Amino acid sequence: MSLALENACHPDRRDWLRRAGGGAGLLGLAALLQDTGLLGTGLRPAQAAGGKSTTPLAPKPSHFAARAKRVIWLFINGGPSHVDTWDFKPELQKRDGQELPGFDRFTGFFANAVGPLMKSPFNFQPQGECGKPVSEIFPHLSRHVDKMAFIHSLFAKSNNHSPALFMMNTGFTQMGYPCVGSWTTYGLGSESKDLPAFVVMSDPLGRGLPKGYSLNWGAGFLPSVYQGTWLKPQGDPIDNLFRAKEMNDVQQRAQLDLLRELNLGHQARHPADDEFSTRIESFELAYRMQSAAPEAMDVDREPEHVRKLYGIDQEKCAHFARQCLIARRMIERGVRFVQIYSGGMENQRSWDGHSDIHGNHTQFALETDQPIAALLQDLEQRGLLDDTLVIWGGEFGRLPVAQKSDKPGRDHNPHALTFWLAGGGVKGGTSFGATDDVGHKAAVDPVDVHDLHATILHLMGLNHERLTFNLNGRDFRLTDVSGNVITPIIA
Amino acid sequence: MKASRELFQKEVRQVLAGRCVKCHGGDKVESEFDLNTREALLRGGAGGSAINLEQVQESRLLALIEHRDEPRMPANAARLPDRQIAAIRQWIELGAAYDRPLIEKDASPDAWIARRIDPSQREFWSFRSLATVEVPDAPLADWGQNAIDRFVGQSLQQQSLTPSPPADKRALVRRLYFDLIGLPPSREEVEAFMADRSPNAYEALVDRLLESPHYGERWARHWLDAVRFAESHGFEQDYDRPHAYHYRDFVIWALNSGMPFDQFIRWQLAGDEWAPEDVQAWKATGFLGAGVFPTQLTEKEFESARYDELDDMIATIGTSMLGLTVGCARCHDHKFDPIPASDYYRLVANFTSAIRSNLELDLDAESSRRAISEWEQRHAPLAEELRAFESQQLGSRFEAWLSETRRKLAAGEAVPMADTPWIIASAAEAISKGGAVLTPQADGSFLATGANADFDTYTFVISTKASSITALRLEAMAHESMARRGPGRAENGNFGLGRIRVEAGPLEGTDPLAPVPIARARATFQQDGGNLSIASSLDDNPRSGWAVDPQFGKDHAAVFELAQPIQHAAGARIRVTLEFTVNNRHNIGRPRLAITRSSAADVAIDGAAQSQEMVDVAAVLAGKGELNEAQRDLLLRWYRSSDPEWKQRHDKLAASLAAKPVARLTPVMVVTEGRKPIPHHADDRGFPHFYPETHFLKRGDIAQKQGVARAGFLQLLDGRLGDTEESPWRFAAPSDAKSSYRRREFSSWITDAERGAGALLARVIVNRLWQHHFGRGIVATPNDFGAQGERPTHPELLEWLAGELLANGWKLKPLHKLIVGSAAYQQAAAARPDCLTADPENRWVWRHSPRRLEAESIRDAMLAVSGGLDRTLFGPGTLDENHKRRSIYFMIKRSRLIPAMQIFDAPEPLVSIGERPSTTVAPQALMFMNSTLVRTTAREFAQRVIAANNAAGDFPEAWIRDGYLRALARSPAEGELKAGSRFLLQQSERYQEAGQSAARDAALTDFCQVLLGLNEFIYTE
Repeated sequence: MSLALENACHPDRRDWLRRAGGGAGLLGLAALLQDTGLLGTGLRPAQAAGGKSTTPLAPKPSHFAARAKRVIWLFINGGPSHVDTWDFKPELQKRDGQELPGFDRFTGFFANAVGPLMKSPFNFQPQGECGKPVSEIFPHLSRHVDKMAFIHSLFAKSNNHSPALFMMNTGFTQMGYPCVGSWTTYGLGSESKDLPAFVVMSDPLGRGLPKGYSLNWGAGFLPSVYQGTWLKPQGDPIDNLFRAKEMNDVQQRAQLDLLRELNLGHQARHPADDEFSTRIESFELAYRMQSAAPEAMDVDREPEHVRKLYGIDQEKCAHFARQCLIARRMIERGVRFVQIYSGGMENQRSWDGHSDIHGNHTQFALETDQPIAALLQDLEQRGLLDDTLVIWGGEFGRLPVAQKSDKPGRDHNPHALTFWLAGGGVKGGTSFGATDDVGHKAAVDPVDVHDLHATILHLMGLNHERLTFNLNGRDFRLTDVSGNVITPIIA
Repeated sequence: MKASRELFQKEVRQVLAGRCVKCHGGDKVESEFDLNTREALLRGGAGGSAINLEQVQESRLLALIEHRDEPRMPANAARLPDRQIAAIRQWIELGAAYDRPLIEKDASPDAWIARRIDPSQREFWSFRSLATVEVPDAPLADWGQNAIDRFVGQSLQQQSLTPSPPADKRALVRRLYFDLIGLPPSREEVEAFMADRSPNAYEALVDRLLESPHYGERWARHWLDAVRFAESHGFEQDYDRPHAYHYRDFVIWALNSGMPFDQFIRWQLAGDEWAPEDVQAWKATGFLGAGVFPTQLTEKEFESARYDELDDMIATIGTSMLGLTVGCARCHDHKFDPIPASDYYRLVANFTSAIRSNLELDLDAESSRRAISEWEQRHAPLAEELRAFESQQLGSRFEAWLSETRRKLAAGEAVPMADTPWIIASAAEAISKGGAVLTPQADGSFLATGANADFDTYTFVISTKASSITALRLEAMAHESMARRGPGRAENGNFGLGRIRVEAGPLEGTDPLAPVPIARARATFQQDGGNLSIASSLDDNPRSGWAVDPQFGKDHAAVFELAQPIQHAAGARIRVTLEFTVNNRHNIGRPRLAITRSSAADVAIDGAAQSQEMVDVAAVLAGKGELNEAQRDLLLRWYRSSDPEWKQRHDKLAASLAAKPVARLTPVMVVTEGRKPIPHHADDRGFPHFYPETHFLKRGDIAQKQGVARAGFLQLLDGRLGDTEESPWRFAAPSDAKSSYRRREFSSWITDAERGAGALLARVIVNRLWQHHFGRGIVATPNDFGAQGERPTHPELLEWLAGELLANGWKLKPLHKLIVGSAAYQQAAAARPDCLTADPENRWVWRHSPRRLEAESIRDAMLAVSGGLDRTLFGPGTLDENHKRRSIYFMIKRSRLIPAMQIFDAPEPLVSIGERPSTTVAPQALMFMNSTLVRTTAREFAQRVIAANNAAGDFPEAWIRDGYLRALARSPAEGELKAGSRFLLQQSERYQEAGQSAARDAALTDFCQVLLGLNEFIYTE
């Protein structure tokens, strides 16, 4: 590639990126770069000396036609109560205050604070064409139930936050396995060359990280390039993203031009070794990333009405609105997988409503309801929802019995939780499976976390049994040795 | 049929077991077709017969797997590789023989425990004993330095490939430095090597690098990958293991010292049982405990967490040492290798009681021993001097003094010995509630030995003839038997007196003792003014009380002033109760009690004391009576302390004794048995840390225990004759052993190349050495030498190298020397198109593959070139990303891995990693462009260049030349010099235009950064 072409491509980077981001719509940066011939060698899987690919993030074909090309997972951290959100239980209303016969008081975390059955403190009204009863805490989201497929019969494996978080993210309760986002980018590579393939956003209000920290977006034994890029809520969001202060763009460009020239000279002596040219290209990509990543995160570039739609002007939900909008901008630019955590650590810092379930869920619903609803609407309007999978759910559900407290709460419930999926390939307005009368356990068509993972991969065009990584002689999978695709929710 | 069976073992079983049997005979029998056994296969399924032995091509099985017919098999998966299909066809042609079923199905539910492997399964290439291999005759004329080249040459010839010419000297010296010590050669080192024209210049350099302490740092890092080394627990809290770095130091030290590899392995498994006197052997056991462990456990998780922990040990031993995926046999028999699940539990049983402990050890016992022996030489004459004085002069001086004293008494003058404020209270009873033995000492103190209970209570009952007692003194005295000489029995030498109670009654009679309130207390020293003060031993809070950290190794005393004197005309009985409730095991090690009749508020805390016996002696003398033998002796001892001649000699001796060197103790994380475990959150809920027995677990489930597993070995690597023969590796545990010595036995087995696993152990380690020198192992799957792993490209060479290792006593350095001394290693890196087409992966070693440096070397090289590298060895690591030591000294905290390492493919330390990927992604480039690390390093590099080329006239060419030599060990080419000059001049101008003061320095920093960013800088070729 000649330097002239390089410069021609972005005489004014802002303008160039506007074309990539705004005007080009679906068109990811990679496609744009390909069109201009900039990614000549970069997209070709190069062979390292040992025969291993050195461009692990190059796009790879899916196993079969994908329904969704990208994922936004709204991780409802701490364990949202299904019976207070999406899983309406009239029987629970009736039996309010009664004991739950045969209840094992070690089910939750606080065996000595078990109370009787407790009805939801929230009203439920049927919504949408499907008539789904939805809790009053979701006035915005309730308008989108016809886009959602609910899974009510999901059950978890652990009653403890970090093992349950690991299970939900990696399919194992132990630490150290690759998470869904890592498996997905391992399987499909990235459509974006100047943004990370897999991005994670956590609570920016100082309430901490989900339990188990970064292991929730770790790549485990997969190469570390597949780990989630955590956009730090404070300071520089991505390591080394910004040029040193003492240097300006012209100076850095001149420096990189010299580097390129000298590296090309070296490469001429090793024409057969592709990894050298791959690395030369990586500097060009990094150079572009310096402006592409901040641009993707700069929600101030969005028009006023869009910002308002997400609720950036609302104090209670501004932070989550911003993250949802960043997520949309990211996937628009080819990012494969985005995960946003609502809430930080345990208790009142997340959806972990051990005490005052009413206050806790009212608050966190207020933080997320409008932004998520706006995200669904915005994606739909831009034609992105068709091939973007949106996931809503946390690590476990909550018990139908009260956890005794001044203001009663609910304890962890590994036996039942609700997820909803929307967008790419999902049959909207459906509900799959059911819990028992009071919402204690998955009762009809129970499905486990492996089934959920198998379904997500399936929608991404990946066969969960074929997406394997051999470690020390064993083929590992996200779904371990089980997993069935939940076909009834697929359109 | 024999040929068919052999083909089955070699290739077919693997395919059928891996791709077919799960749905056809395993979990289910799809289409009624079962191929688990030959009989079932011949029966066929719903679609008719599966194979046709007469007309093989007609076989339905072949039609389906070749996708000639529907349903295509395997279902929902890619077509089998042609090679595998061909093997299956050939196998059917030969008769479709099985050696045994694909899956063992048990008649009785615990038959799996008794499963014996078929002896023929030991015939797999990697499980056999080491074969003697003949070095082939030189197959390539004019090529080759040593035996390795003859093996490699033979393969090249067979593949119709030719070796590459030797690399040029500069490339070679750089390659050698990075391979052996992980650091670049300095400019001077390169020049010296280039200038050395002697024929053994290269060999001398190899020797020098192998003796460099940095060799251990480089090669330890490879081993640490294989053993999932980290310094935190992982999981929820990811607590630090601050004493775990000693294991890393052991590995570095052992490699540097040339420790034989079999010993290196034995110590990691059982150093505490092989060489308990050697601190390095203890450090080595950190291997077993380097894995993760949850710190938050519910009761339901206690036992499964322990089995997970044992699994981590066994799985890591399997992959890192034996290249065997033993961990796969936890829930069922290994699917591909002959490892029954029962063998797995027998292996685990060797480690049943092994747990992590932090022990206080002397890291430099050698120096301590030397210091003590030097001290002993100084001390002995002083002891002799005192002894001589006592035997020759003391007696007569005492006699003179005694007659003088008698004279004074007769004259009614005062004598000092009857006039001390304190009377030592010799207790009639001294009882430890916690079971400590309290032995009376000559000075009236009690030495506590034996049990050191968590919260002990001592009770003393004192009898005294004194009629009025105003205060009580408690001394806590130092003693050799305690850590840091005490005076407490806690691990740090401290104690904590939570409460003291005094009760008293008349000496005679049986009146119950009445409580005596204490008004005030004071002490020689107290730990603080609050909860660890002397006053707090009087309050009601049992967790507060008198303690003396950090004033260890000396005597302390406290005076307890009684609210009302104890007054009984005929003397008193006093019970003193000391409660050590402040902290676990914080009991006083050598208490002594004294009473006084003086005014309580005025009596000196350190006032002289004497025993009741001395008070009696004084009375005898006053009454002009005769002293008995014991009283005379007592008086002599009392006298001599006031004799200046004796005292001067004695004090000198005592001072010398007090200055006796003490070993400096450092906590070290070890894995051993019978010691205190590292504290755990669940301790107070009864978490036992280990269970006394390991059970056979059906499907790996703790709810399905099927009997106790006795410690044992892998059948497939157990060369004993039959089951009955005694283990030749058994070692009788010494009588005072705290541990079972099972691990010692296990480690003997694993290193026994004759009858144990040693042959495989040797193959695996020589393959690792080869892999790290060439970028690819002879076996390309370094952690899997089983059926699923790759076969060796050069099986005879591997066998020969393993034999060489054994022949030179398991020493690794000679093997390195052999490898880097080969022409195969010294080949140029340039890719020749014909060879590249024929062998793109360089499996046959027709060149030296260019390789990117590993994460640690990239950073270390930058620091070295910039002159900022701190080469200090050993010691605690750090999370500070700006530290200047080698990268191996980063602390490895599982939740805070260092980004600059991770980004260049340093693995997550969770399981054994045998081979790192080598990826190229944009965030790496961002690091080279913008990170503080690289910018700072570039600035320092530039300063170094400036300092060496101060003459302004040299700018820019001399500067560029200097930079190239330092960074790349070569001079710039003409074009490079031009490009660099142009850049430096223009960039200087740009900085000048931007108003920067030191524009030229800034430009040079940018240029140096470019050098660090070159492909040539982070690749060896």
